[in-house]
Amino acid sequence: MSKEAPLSVAERDFILDALHQNVRLDGRGLDQFRPLSVSFGNEYGHVKLRLGKTSLVVRISAEVTKPRDDRPFDGLFNIALELSAMGSPAWENGRSNDLEAYVSHILDRVIRHSNALDTESLCIIQGVSCWNIRADVHVLDFDGNLTDAACIGVMAGLQHFRRPDAVVKDGQVVVYGVEERVPVALNITQKPLSTTFHSFDEGKTVILDATRKEEQASEGELVIGINNAGDVCFLSKFAGDPIDALFVVNKSNVAQEKVKEINAMVDKVLQADLARRAKKGMAEEAQAENDREVSPNDPFV
Amino acid sequence: MTTPLVLLPGEEVPSDHLPPTKNNNPLKLGPGLRLLSQPSTSAAAGHVLTATQAGLLTTDAKRNTVSLLSFSNRRYLPTTNDLIIAQIHHSSADYFHCMVTPHTAHALLGQLSFEGATKKTRPMLKQGELVYARVLSVGIGAGAEVELTCVNPATGKAEPGGLGPLVGGMVFDVSTGMAARLIRASSASPDQTDAVEGLVVLSELDKKLESVGGFEIAVGRNGKVWVDCSNAGDSAIQATVAIGRCLQQTDEGNLSTSEQKKLVSRILREMKIG
Repeated sequence: MSKEAPLSVAERDFILDALHQNVRLDGRGLDQFRPLSVSFGNEYGHVKLRLGKTSLVVRISAEVTKPRDDRPFDGLFNIALELSAMGSPAWENGRSNDLEAYVSHILDRVIRHSNALDTESLCIIQGVSCWNIRADVHVLDFDGNLTDAACIGVMAGLQHFRRPDAVVKDGQVVVYGVEERVPVALNITQKPLSTTFHSFDEGKTVILDATRKEEQASEGELVIGINNAGDVCFLSKFAGDPIDALFVVNKSNVAQEKVKEINAMVDKVLQADLARRAKKGMAEEAQAENDREVSPNDPFV
Repeated sequence: MTTPLVLLPGEEVPSDHLPPTKNNNPLKLGPGLRLLSQPSTSAAAGHVLTATQAGLLTTDAKRNTVSLLSFSNRRYLPTTNDLIIAQIHHSSADYFHCMVTPHTAHALLGQLSFEGATKKTRPMLKQGELVYARVLSVGIGAGAEVELTCVNPATGKAEPGGLGPLVGGMVFDVSTGMAARLIRASSASPDQTDAVEGLVVLSELDKKLESVGGFEIAVGRNGKVWVDCSNAGDSAIQATVAIGRCLQQTDEGNLSTSEQKKLVSRILREMKIG
Protein backbone atom coordinates (compact mmCIF):
# COMPACT_ATOMS: atom_id res chain seq x y z
CA MET A 1 0.00 0.00 0.00
CA SER A 2 2.47 2.61 -1.08
CA LYS A 3 -0.20 4.65 -2.81
CA GLU A 4 -1.88 7.72 -1.39
CA ALA A 5 -5.39 6.94 -0.16
CA PRO A 6 -7.85 7.97 -2.86
CA LEU A 7 -10.17 10.91 -2.31
CA SER A 8 -13.83 10.17 -1.75
CA VAL A 9 -16.30 11.20 -4.41
CA ALA A 10 -17.79 13.84 -2.12
CA GLU A 11 -14.42 15.43 -1.43
CA ARG A 12 -13.38 15.53 -5.06
CA ASP A 13 -16.70 16.99 -6.20
CA PHE A 14 -16.71 19.57 -3.45
CA ILE A 15 -13.13 20.71 -4.06
CA LEU A 16 -13.90 21.12 -7.77
CA ASP A 17 -17.22 22.92 -7.13
CA ALA A 18 -15.59 25.24 -4.62
CA LEU A 19 -12.70 26.06 -6.93
CA HIS A 20 -15.26 26.79 -9.63
CA GLN A 21 -16.34 29.66 -7.38
CA ASN A 22 -12.72 30.51 -6.53
CA VAL A 23 -13.08 29.20 -2.98
CA ARG A 24 -10.39 27.04 -1.39
CA LEU A 25 -10.92 24.74 1.55
CA ASP A 26 -8.66 26.72 3.86
CA GLY A 27 -10.04 30.07 2.70
CA ARG A 28 -6.86 31.07 0.88
CA GLY A 29 -6.75 33.03 -2.36
CA LEU A 30 -5.89 31.08 -5.50
CA ASP A 31 -2.42 32.62 -5.73
CA GLN A 32 -1.60 32.43 -2.06
CA PHE A 33 0.93 30.26 -0.24
CA ARG A 34 0.16 28.67 3.09
CA PRO A 35 1.93 30.22 6.08
CA LEU A 36 5.64 29.48 5.70
CA SER A 37 7.96 29.24 8.65
CA VAL A 38 11.71 28.70 8.37
CA SER A 39 14.01 28.29 11.33
CA PHE A 40 17.62 27.24 11.74
CA GLY A 41 19.08 24.75 14.17
CA ASN A 42 22.23 25.08 16.22
CA GLU A 43 24.54 23.87 13.49
CA TYR A 44 25.18 25.54 10.18
CA GLY A 45 22.99 24.27 7.37
CA HIS A 46 20.27 22.76 9.56
CA VAL A 47 16.91 24.09 8.40
CA LYS A 48 13.46 23.34 9.76
CA LEU A 49 10.70 24.34 7.42
CA ARG A 50 6.93 24.27 7.64
CA LEU A 51 4.61 25.12 4.80
CA GLY A 52 1.11 24.73 6.19
CA LYS A 53 1.11 21.15 7.42
CA THR A 54 3.95 20.02 5.17
CA SER A 55 7.09 20.02 7.24
CA LEU A 56 10.64 18.99 6.58
CA VAL A 57 14.20 19.21 7.83
CA VAL A 58 17.18 19.90 5.57
CA ARG A 59 20.76 19.18 6.56
CA ILE A 60 23.69 20.40 4.52
CA SER A 61 27.02 18.66 5.07
CA ALA A 62 30.45 18.88 3.53
CA GLU A 63 33.38 16.52 3.16
CA VAL A 64 36.61 16.49 1.19
CA THR A 65 36.71 14.03 -1.69
CA LYS A 66 38.35 13.50 -5.05
CA PRO A 67 36.70 15.37 -7.94
CA ARG A 68 35.32 13.51 -10.90
CA ASP A 69 37.89 12.68 -13.56
CA ASP A 70 36.02 14.46 -16.33
CA ARG A 71 35.57 17.64 -14.24
CA PRO A 72 38.79 18.18 -12.30
CA PHE A 73 37.95 21.84 -11.48
CA ASP A 74 34.51 21.16 -10.06
CA GLY A 75 33.42 20.22 -6.59
CA LEU A 76 30.51 17.84 -6.02
CA PHE A 77 27.01 18.76 -4.99
CA ASN A 78 24.19 16.30 -4.39
CA ILE A 79 20.66 16.56 -3.14
CA ALA A 80 19.31 13.45 -1.43
CA LEU A 81 15.61 13.17 -0.84
CA GLU A 82 14.12 10.05 0.61
CA LEU A 83 10.49 9.66 1.54
CA SER A 84 10.33 7.54 4.67
CA ALA A 85 7.31 6.26 6.54
CA MET A 86 7.82 9.13 8.98
CA GLY A 87 6.35 11.59 6.50
CA SER A 88 3.16 9.82 5.51
CA PRO A 89 1.65 6.39 6.07
CA ALA A 90 1.44 6.09 2.30
CA TRP A 91 5.22 5.82 2.00
CA GLU A 92 7.28 2.78 2.76
CA ASN A 93 10.82 2.78 4.05
CA GLY A 94 13.44 1.76 1.56
CA ARG A 95 11.10 1.70 -1.40
CA SER A 96 11.18 4.63 -3.77
CA ASN A 97 7.93 5.88 -5.19
CA ASP A 98 6.95 8.15 -8.05
CA LEU A 99 6.72 11.25 -5.91
CA GLU A 100 10.25 10.77 -4.65
CA ALA A 101 11.68 10.45 -8.15
CA TYR A 102 9.62 13.40 -9.32
CA VAL A 103 10.61 15.78 -6.51
CA SER A 104 14.27 14.72 -6.67
CA HIS A 105 14.28 15.41 -10.38
CA ILE A 106 12.83 18.89 -9.93
CA LEU A 107 15.23 19.75 -7.09
CA ASP A 108 18.11 18.59 -9.26
CA ARG A 109 17.02 20.68 -12.17
CA VAL A 110 16.07 23.82 -10.27
CA ILE A 111 18.98 23.99 -7.82
CA ARG A 112 21.81 21.83 -9.14
CA HIS A 113 21.58 22.32 -12.89
CA SER A 114 20.88 26.04 -12.60
CA ASN A 115 24.30 26.33 -10.93
CA ALA A 116 22.79 28.10 -7.94
CA LEU A 117 25.76 26.75 -6.00
CA ASP A 118 28.99 27.59 -7.78
CA THR A 119 30.65 24.16 -7.80
CA GLU A 120 33.94 25.52 -9.17
CA SER A 121 34.47 27.35 -5.89
CA LEU A 122 34.45 23.98 -4.13
CA CYS A 123 37.68 22.86 -5.80
CA ILE A 124 40.70 22.66 -3.46
CA ILE A 125 43.43 21.06 -5.60
CA GLN A 126 42.71 20.49 -9.25
CA GLY A 127 41.95 16.85 -9.93
CA VAL A 128 43.01 15.79 -6.42
CA SER A 129 40.63 17.09 -3.82
CA CYS A 130 37.46 19.11 -3.62
CA TRP A 131 34.48 19.63 -1.36
CA ASN A 132 31.48 17.38 -1.65
CA ILE A 133 28.38 19.26 -0.52
CA ARG A 134 25.41 17.11 0.29
CA ALA A 135 21.88 18.27 1.04
CA ASP A 136 19.67 15.77 2.83
CA VAL A 137 15.94 16.41 2.82
CA HIS A 138 13.88 14.62 5.48
CA VAL A 139 10.14 14.90 5.14
CA LEU A 140 8.41 14.91 8.53
CA ASP A 141 4.85 15.54 7.47
CA PHE A 142 3.25 15.69 4.06
CA ASP A 143 0.29 17.79 3.07
CA GLY A 144 1.00 18.62 -0.55
CA ASN A 145 3.47 20.80 -2.42
CA LEU A 146 6.56 18.94 -1.35
CA THR A 147 8.48 20.30 -4.35
CA ASP A 148 8.32 23.95 -3.38
CA ALA A 149 8.85 23.27 0.30
CA ALA A 150 11.94 21.14 -0.38
CA CYS A 151 13.27 23.74 -2.80
CA ILE A 152 12.93 26.56 -0.27
CA GLY A 153 14.49 24.35 2.41
CA VAL A 154 17.54 23.37 0.35
CA MET A 155 18.17 26.94 -0.82
CA ALA A 156 17.84 28.27 2.74
CA GLY A 157 20.23 25.55 3.92
CA LEU A 158 22.83 26.36 1.27
CA GLN A 159 22.73 30.03 2.25
CA HIS A 160 23.02 29.21 5.92
CA PHE A 161 25.72 26.57 5.64
CA ARG A 162 29.36 27.34 6.47
CA ARG A 163 32.01 24.85 5.41
CA PRO A 164 35.28 24.51 7.33
CA ASP A 165 38.16 26.54 5.93
CA ALA A 166 40.74 24.55 3.97
CA VAL A 167 44.10 25.67 2.68
CA VAL A 168 46.84 24.00 0.68
CA LYS A 169 50.22 23.86 2.43
CA ASP A 170 53.13 22.25 0.53
CA GLY A 171 50.76 20.28 -1.62
CA GLN A 172 48.85 19.04 1.44
CA VAL A 173 45.28 20.00 2.20
CA VAL A 174 44.80 21.31 5.73
CA VAL A 175 41.20 21.54 6.93
CA TYR A 176 40.72 23.83 9.92
CA GLY A 177 38.05 23.05 12.47
CA VAL A 178 35.15 25.40 13.01
CA GLU A 179 36.76 26.61 16.25
CA GLU A 180 40.16 27.26 14.69
CA ARG A 181 39.12 29.42 11.78
CA VAL A 182 35.95 31.21 10.81
CA PRO A 183 34.07 28.79 8.54
CA VAL A 184 33.39 29.86 4.97
CA ALA A 185 30.01 30.51 3.39
CA LEU A 186 29.18 28.76 0.14
CA ASN A 187 29.26 30.74 -3.08
CA ILE A 188 25.61 31.13 -4.10
CA THR A 189 25.27 32.66 -7.54
CA GLN A 190 21.48 33.00 -7.64
CA LYS A 191 18.45 31.92 -5.65
CA PRO A 192 16.05 30.01 -7.87
CA LEU A 193 12.95 28.46 -6.35
CA SER A 194 10.26 26.29 -7.83
CA THR A 195 6.61 27.25 -7.81
CA THR A 196 4.01 24.61 -8.54
CA PHE A 197 0.66 25.44 -10.09
CA HIS A 198 -2.24 23.04 -10.26
CA SER A 199 -4.91 23.44 -12.89
CA PHE A 200 -8.61 22.60 -12.64
CA ASP A 201 -11.61 23.04 -14.90
CA GLU A 202 -9.69 22.50 -18.14
CA GLY A 203 -7.10 25.07 -17.14
CA LYS A 204 -9.59 27.81 -16.27
CA THR A 205 -8.80 27.74 -12.56
CA VAL A 206 -5.21 27.58 -11.46
CA ILE A 207 -4.00 27.49 -7.88
CA LEU A 208 -0.65 27.84 -6.18
CA ASP A 209 0.64 25.71 -3.31
CA ALA A 210 -1.98 22.96 -3.41
CA THR A 211 -2.65 20.83 -0.35
CA ARG A 212 -2.59 17.04 -0.62
CA LYS A 213 -6.31 16.85 -1.28
CA GLU A 214 -6.18 19.59 -3.89
CA GLU A 215 -3.25 17.85 -5.56
CA GLN A 216 -5.24 14.65 -5.75
CA ALA A 217 -8.23 16.39 -7.31
CA SER A 218 -6.23 18.41 -9.82
CA GLU A 219 -6.18 17.83 -13.55
CA GLY A 220 -2.68 18.96 -14.31
CA GLU A 221 0.31 20.74 -12.92
CA LEU A 222 2.94 23.16 -14.06
CA VAL A 223 6.24 23.73 -12.30
CA ILE A 224 8.20 26.91 -12.91
CA GLY A 225 11.69 27.33 -11.48
CA ILE A 226 12.55 31.00 -11.47
CA ASN A 227 14.92 33.34 -9.64
CA ASN A 228 14.59 36.87 -8.29
CA ALA A 229 15.63 38.44 -11.58
CA GLY A 230 12.96 36.52 -13.46
CA ASP A 231 15.29 34.06 -15.22
CA VAL A 232 13.36 30.86 -15.76
CA CYS A 233 15.72 27.96 -15.08
CA PHE A 234 13.16 25.18 -15.20
CA LEU A 235 9.75 24.70 -16.71
CA SER A 236 7.86 21.46 -16.71
CA LYS A 237 4.48 20.18 -17.58
CA PHE A 238 4.87 16.46 -17.13
CA ALA A 239 1.29 15.28 -17.33
CA GLY A 240 -2.33 16.26 -17.10
CA ASP A 241 -4.57 18.49 -19.14
CA PRO A 242 -3.08 20.84 -21.72
CA ILE A 243 -2.73 24.50 -20.79
CA ASP A 244 -2.52 27.69 -22.78
CA ALA A 245 0.92 29.06 -23.73
CA LEU A 246 -0.11 32.57 -22.71
CA PHE A 247 -0.97 31.19 -19.33
CA VAL A 248 2.61 30.04 -18.83
CA VAL A 249 3.83 33.56 -19.50
CA ASN A 250 1.32 35.06 -17.07
CA LYS A 251 2.04 32.57 -14.38
CA SER A 252 5.79 33.01 -14.60
CA ASN A 253 5.19 36.62 -13.53
CA VAL A 254 3.17 35.40 -10.56
CA ALA A 255 5.92 32.87 -9.82
CA GLN A 256 8.58 35.58 -9.88
CA GLU A 257 6.61 37.69 -7.41
CA LYS A 258 6.22 34.72 -5.07
CA VAL A 259 9.89 33.77 -5.33
CA LYS A 260 10.90 37.34 -4.49
CA GLU A 261 8.58 37.30 -1.49
CA ILE A 262 9.85 33.96 -0.21
CA ASN A 263 13.52 34.82 -0.79
CA ALA A 264 13.04 38.08 1.11
CA MET A 265 11.42 36.21 3.98
CA VAL A 266 14.20 33.58 4.09
CA ASP A 267 16.80 36.36 3.94
CA LYS A 268 15.25 38.06 6.93
CA VAL A 269 15.29 34.89 9.03
CA LEU A 270 18.84 34.15 7.88
CA GLN A 271 20.14 37.61 8.81
CA ALA A 272 18.43 37.41 12.20
CA ASP A 273 20.02 34.01 12.83
CA LEU A 274 23.49 35.15 11.77
CA ALA A 275 23.21 38.28 13.91
CA ARG A 276 22.24 36.11 16.88
CA ARG A 277 25.24 33.84 16.27
CA ALA A 278 27.63 36.78 15.92
CA LYS A 279 26.42 38.23 19.20
CA LYS A 280 26.66 34.89 20.96
CA GLY A 281 30.14 34.30 19.54
CA MET A 282 31.39 37.65 20.81
CA ALA A 283 29.85 37.14 24.21
CA GLU A 284 31.63 33.80 24.49
CA GLU A 285 34.97 35.30 23.54
CA ALA A 286 34.55 38.16 26.00
CA GLN A 287 33.98 35.70 28.81
CA ALA A 288 37.09 34.97 30.87
CA GLU A 289 35.61 31.98 32.66
CA ASN A 290 35.94 28.52 31.25
CA ASP A 291 32.91 26.34 30.87
CA ARG A 292 32.84 23.92 33.72
CA GLU A 293 30.63 21.07 34.48
CA VAL A 294 28.84 21.55 37.77
CA SER A 295 27.68 18.32 39.23
CA PRO A 296 24.77 18.42 41.66
CA ASN A 297 26.79 16.37 44.18
CA ASP A 298 29.54 18.96 44.32
CA PRO A 299 29.93 19.92 48.01
CA PHE A 300 31.08 23.44 47.13
CA VAL A 301 27.96 24.43 45.21
CA MET B 1 -20.74 15.78 39.39
CA THR B 2 -17.54 14.26 40.73
CA THR B 3 -14.19 15.83 40.08
CA PRO B 4 -12.68 14.99 36.70
CA LEU B 5 -10.41 11.99 36.78
CA VAL B 6 -7.55 11.60 34.35
CA LEU B 7 -6.45 8.04 33.74
CA LEU B 8 -3.24 6.81 32.18
CA PRO B 9 -3.00 3.58 30.16
CA GLY B 10 -3.04 0.59 32.50
CA GLU B 11 -4.61 2.39 35.42
CA GLU B 12 -7.66 0.91 37.07
CA VAL B 13 -10.89 2.81 37.22
CA PRO B 14 -11.73 3.41 40.90
CA SER B 15 -15.03 1.76 41.69
CA ASP B 16 -16.43 4.88 43.37
CA HIS B 17 -16.28 6.66 40.03
CA LEU B 18 -18.54 4.12 38.34
CA PRO B 19 -22.28 4.71 38.21
CA PRO B 20 -24.27 2.49 40.61
CA THR B 21 -24.79 -0.87 38.95
CA LYS B 22 -28.26 -2.24 38.41
CA ASN B 23 -28.76 -5.91 37.87
CA ASN B 24 -31.03 -5.67 34.88
CA ASN B 25 -29.00 -2.95 33.18
CA PRO B 26 -25.36 -3.85 32.67
CA LEU B 27 -22.74 -1.13 32.53
CA LYS B 28 -21.76 -0.17 28.99
CA LEU B 29 -18.12 0.49 28.23
CA GLY B 30 -17.07 3.18 25.81
CA PRO B 31 -13.80 3.44 23.90
CA GLY B 32 -10.54 3.43 25.82
CA LEU B 33 -11.68 1.10 28.59
CA ARG B 34 -11.31 -2.61 28.94
CA LEU B 35 -12.77 -5.20 31.26
CA LEU B 36 -9.81 -7.22 32.44
CA SER B 37 -11.32 -9.64 34.91
CA GLN B 38 -14.46 -10.15 36.87
CA PRO B 39 -13.62 -11.25 40.40
CA SER B 40 -16.43 -13.42 41.70
CA THR B 41 -15.62 -13.03 45.39
CA SER B 42 -15.47 -9.32 45.97
CA ALA B 43 -18.96 -8.05 46.31
CA ALA B 44 -18.42 -4.30 46.22
CA ALA B 45 -16.26 -3.99 43.13
CA GLY B 46 -18.04 -5.94 40.42
CA HIS B 47 -15.55 -5.24 37.70
CA VAL B 48 -11.93 -4.37 37.25
CA LEU B 49 -11.76 -1.82 34.46
CA THR B 50 -8.51 -0.51 33.13
CA ALA B 51 -7.81 2.32 30.75
CA THR B 52 -6.11 1.42 27.48
CA GLN B 53 -5.27 5.01 26.62
CA ALA B 54 -4.83 8.28 28.45
CA GLY B 55 -7.98 10.29 28.91
CA LEU B 56 -10.62 11.86 31.06
CA LEU B 57 -13.03 9.42 32.70
CA THR B 58 -16.63 10.34 31.97
CA THR B 59 -19.72 8.61 33.22
CA ASP B 60 -23.35 8.94 32.28
CA ALA B 61 -25.63 7.64 35.02
CA LYS B 62 -28.77 7.94 32.91
CA ARG B 63 -27.54 5.69 30.15
CA ASN B 64 -25.36 3.69 32.52
CA THR B 65 -22.24 4.15 30.43
CA VAL B 66 -18.69 4.85 31.32
CA SER B 67 -16.14 5.97 28.77
CA LEU B 68 -12.78 7.58 28.44
CA LEU B 69 -12.62 10.95 26.71
CA SER B 70 -9.29 10.76 24.92
CA PHE B 71 -7.26 13.76 23.97
CA SER B 72 -6.58 15.07 20.50
CA ASN B 73 -5.18 12.18 18.65
CA ARG B 74 -4.75 11.27 15.01
CA ARG B 75 -4.86 7.52 15.35
CA TYR B 76 -8.20 5.82 15.45
CA LEU B 77 -8.77 2.31 16.76
CA PRO B 78 -12.24 0.97 16.04
CA THR B 79 -14.35 0.21 19.09
CA THR B 80 -17.72 -1.53 19.03
CA ASN B 81 -20.67 0.86 18.72
CA ASP B 82 -18.63 3.78 17.45
CA LEU B 83 -20.27 5.81 14.73
CA ILE B 84 -17.82 6.32 11.91
CA ILE B 85 -17.66 7.70 8.39
CA ALA B 86 -16.20 5.10 6.06
CA GLN B 87 -15.26 5.30 2.42
CA ILE B 88 -16.12 2.45 0.06
CA HIS B 89 -12.98 0.96 -1.44
CA HIS B 90 -14.47 -1.83 -3.49
CA SER B 91 -17.37 -4.19 -3.31
CA SER B 92 -17.55 -7.95 -3.44
CA ALA B 93 -20.45 -10.41 -3.59
CA ASP B 94 -21.56 -10.03 0.02
CA TYR B 95 -19.64 -7.09 1.37
CA PHE B 96 -18.55 -3.56 0.73
CA HIS B 97 -14.89 -3.19 1.67
CA CYS B 98 -14.54 0.16 3.41
CA MET B 99 -11.66 2.38 4.43
CA VAL B 100 -12.16 3.60 7.98
CA THR B 101 -8.72 5.16 8.16
CA PRO B 102 -6.34 5.31 5.21
CA HIS B 103 -3.61 2.66 4.95
CA THR B 104 -5.18 0.21 7.37
CA ALA B 105 -6.97 -3.03 6.69
CA HIS B 106 -10.42 -2.62 5.19
CA ALA B 107 -13.56 -2.96 7.26
CA LEU B 108 -16.46 -5.05 6.03
CA LEU B 109 -19.95 -3.67 5.55
CA GLY B 110 -22.58 -6.20 4.54
CA GLN B 111 -24.39 -5.48 1.28
CA LEU B 112 -27.67 -6.00 3.12
CA SER B 113 -26.91 -4.13 6.33
CA PHE B 114 -28.87 -1.06 5.33
CA GLU B 115 -32.33 0.00 6.37
CA GLY B 116 -34.90 -1.82 4.29
CA ALA B 117 -32.27 -3.50 2.12
CA THR B 118 -33.13 -6.68 0.31
CA LYS B 119 -31.32 -8.49 -2.48
CA LYS B 120 -33.14 -6.25 -4.98
CA THR B 121 -33.25 -2.93 -3.17
CA ARG B 122 -29.79 -2.81 -1.65
CA PRO B 123 -27.81 0.38 -2.30
CA MET B 124 -25.33 0.17 -5.15
CA LEU B 125 -22.37 2.01 -3.69
CA LYS B 126 -19.40 2.73 -5.88
CA GLN B 127 -15.76 3.24 -5.02
CA GLY B 128 -15.15 6.47 -3.14
CA GLU B 129 -18.68 6.92 -1.83
CA LEU B 130 -19.19 7.53 1.86
CA VAL B 131 -21.34 5.77 4.44
CA TYR B 132 -22.19 6.69 7.99
CA ALA B 133 -21.99 3.40 9.85
CA ARG B 134 -21.73 1.82 13.26
CA VAL B 135 -18.95 -0.54 14.25
CA LEU B 136 -20.64 -3.88 14.81
CA SER B 137 -17.63 -5.89 15.92
CA VAL B 138 -13.91 -5.47 15.93
CA GLY B 139 -12.78 -9.07 16.23
CA ILE B 140 -9.95 -10.31 18.39
CA GLY B 141 -6.34 -11.00 17.62
CA ALA B 142 -4.20 -10.46 14.57
CA GLY B 143 -5.95 -10.34 11.23
CA ALA B 144 -9.31 -9.74 12.83
CA GLU B 145 -11.76 -7.97 10.60
CA VAL B 146 -13.74 -4.96 11.64
CA GLU B 147 -17.39 -5.26 10.70
CA LEU B 148 -19.67 -2.28 10.14
CA THR B 149 -23.41 -1.96 9.87
CA CYS B 150 -25.85 0.78 8.94
CA VAL B 151 -28.83 -0.88 10.58
CA ASN B 152 -29.80 -2.16 13.98
CA PRO B 153 -30.10 -5.93 13.43
CA ALA B 154 -32.79 -6.19 16.13
CA THR B 155 -35.20 -3.62 14.71
CA GLY B 156 -34.20 -3.42 11.07
CA LYS B 157 -34.14 0.38 11.35
CA ALA B 158 -31.21 2.72 10.88
CA GLU B 159 -30.56 3.42 14.53
CA PRO B 160 -29.43 5.93 15.62
CA GLY B 161 -30.95 7.89 12.75
CA GLY B 162 -28.95 8.99 9.78
CA LEU B 163 -26.93 5.84 9.24
CA GLY B 164 -26.48 4.95 5.61
CA PRO B 165 -24.91 6.43 2.49
CA LEU B 166 -23.85 10.09 2.68
CA VAL B 167 -24.57 11.91 -0.55
CA GLY B 168 -23.02 15.23 -1.50
CA GLY B 169 -21.50 17.51 1.09
CA MET B 170 -17.89 17.50 2.14
CA VAL B 171 -15.74 15.61 4.62
CA PHE B 172 -13.29 17.40 6.88
CA ASP B 173 -10.56 15.73 8.90
CA VAL B 174 -10.33 16.52 12.60
CA SER B 175 -8.57 14.77 15.46
CA THR B 176 -10.32 11.81 17.06
CA GLY B 177 -10.50 13.71 20.35
CA MET B 178 -12.34 16.55 18.62
CA ALA B 179 -14.72 14.07 16.98
CA ALA B 180 -15.51 12.55 20.38
CA ARG B 181 -16.13 16.00 21.84
CA LEU B 182 -18.46 16.89 18.96
CA ILE B 183 -20.46 13.72 19.48
CA ARG B 184 -20.77 14.40 23.19
CA ALA B 185 -21.70 18.02 22.56
CA SER B 186 -24.51 17.03 20.22
CA SER B 187 -25.94 14.36 22.53
CA ALA B 188 -25.62 16.38 25.73
CA SER B 189 -28.70 17.91 27.31
CA PRO B 190 -28.62 21.70 27.91
CA ASP B 191 -27.88 21.36 31.63
CA GLN B 192 -24.81 19.33 30.78
CA THR B 193 -23.09 21.96 28.69
CA ASP B 194 -20.18 22.39 31.07
CA ALA B 195 -19.42 18.71 30.78
CA VAL B 196 -18.59 19.05 27.10
CA GLU B 197 -15.73 21.39 27.92
CA GLY B 198 -17.22 24.48 26.41
CA LEU B 199 -17.50 23.28 22.85
CA VAL B 200 -19.83 25.93 21.47
CA VAL B 201 -18.57 26.12 17.91
CA LEU B 202 -21.42 24.02 16.52
CA SER B 203 -24.26 25.75 18.36
CA GLU B 204 -22.76 29.11 17.41
CA LEU B 205 -22.61 28.07 13.75
CA ASP B 206 -26.15 26.76 14.02
CA LYS B 207 -27.42 30.15 15.22
CA LYS B 208 -25.53 32.11 12.60
CA LEU B 209 -26.30 29.84 9.66
CA GLU B 210 -29.99 29.38 10.39
CA SER B 211 -30.85 32.34 8.16
CA VAL B 212 -29.11 30.83 5.12
CA GLY B 213 -30.83 27.46 5.49
CA GLY B 214 -28.94 25.63 8.20
CA PHE B 215 -26.70 22.64 7.70
CA GLU B 216 -26.52 18.90 8.17
CA ILE B 217 -23.62 17.30 9.96
CA ALA B 218 -22.45 13.76 10.70
CA VAL B 219 -19.52 13.16 13.01
CA GLY B 220 -17.46 10.01 12.69
CA ARG B 221 -15.34 8.84 15.59
CA ASN B 222 -12.57 8.10 13.11
CA GLY B 223 -11.85 11.83 12.92
CA LYS B 224 -14.09 12.71 10.01
CA VAL B 225 -16.89 15.24 9.93
CA TRP B 226 -19.34 15.29 7.04
CA VAL B 227 -21.03 18.63 6.43
CA ASP B 228 -23.79 19.41 3.97
CA CYS B 229 -25.35 22.81 3.37
CA SER B 230 -27.39 22.00 0.28
CA ASN B 231 -30.29 24.10 1.64
CA ALA B 232 -28.13 27.18 1.64
CA GLY B 233 -28.55 27.76 -2.11
CA ASP B 234 -25.88 30.01 -3.59
CA SER B 235 -23.78 30.26 -0.46
CA ALA B 236 -23.75 26.48 0.12
CA ILE B 237 -20.06 26.12 -0.69
CA GLN B 238 -19.01 29.13 1.37
CA ALA B 239 -21.04 27.90 4.33
CA THR B 240 -19.57 24.39 4.11
CA VAL B 241 -16.02 25.69 3.90
CA ALA B 242 -16.72 28.03 6.81
CA ILE B 243 -17.97 25.16 8.99
CA GLY B 244 -14.97 23.03 8.09
CA ARG B 245 -12.51 25.80 8.87
CA CYS B 246 -14.21 26.60 12.17
CA LEU B 247 -14.05 22.96 13.26
CA GLN B 248 -10.45 22.46 12.19
CA GLN B 249 -9.21 25.66 13.78
CA THR B 250 -11.07 24.98 17.02
CA ASP B 251 -9.42 21.58 17.02
CA GLU B 252 -5.89 22.74 16.21
CA GLY B 253 -5.92 25.82 18.41
CA ASN B 254 -7.76 24.16 21.32
CA LEU B 255 -9.85 27.32 21.55
CA SER B 256 -11.81 28.49 24.56
CA THR B 257 -15.52 29.33 24.44
CA SER B 258 -15.07 33.02 23.73
CA GLU B 259 -12.34 32.33 21.17
CA GLN B 260 -14.67 29.91 19.38
CA LYS B 261 -17.38 32.57 19.16
CA LYS B 262 -14.89 35.10 17.81
CA LEU B 263 -13.57 32.55 15.32
CA VAL B 264 -17.05 31.78 14.02
CA SER B 265 -17.92 35.43 13.42
CA ARG B 266 -14.54 36.15 11.86
CA ILE B 267 -14.67 33.22 9.45
CA LEU B 268 -18.28 33.86 8.47
CA ARG B 269 -17.33 37.47 7.77
CA GLU B 270 -14.35 36.34 5.69
CA MET B 271 -16.51 33.95 3.69
CA LYS B 272 -19.18 36.67 3.32
CA ILE B 273 -22.10 34.79 4.82
CA GLY B 274 -24.80 35.84 7.22
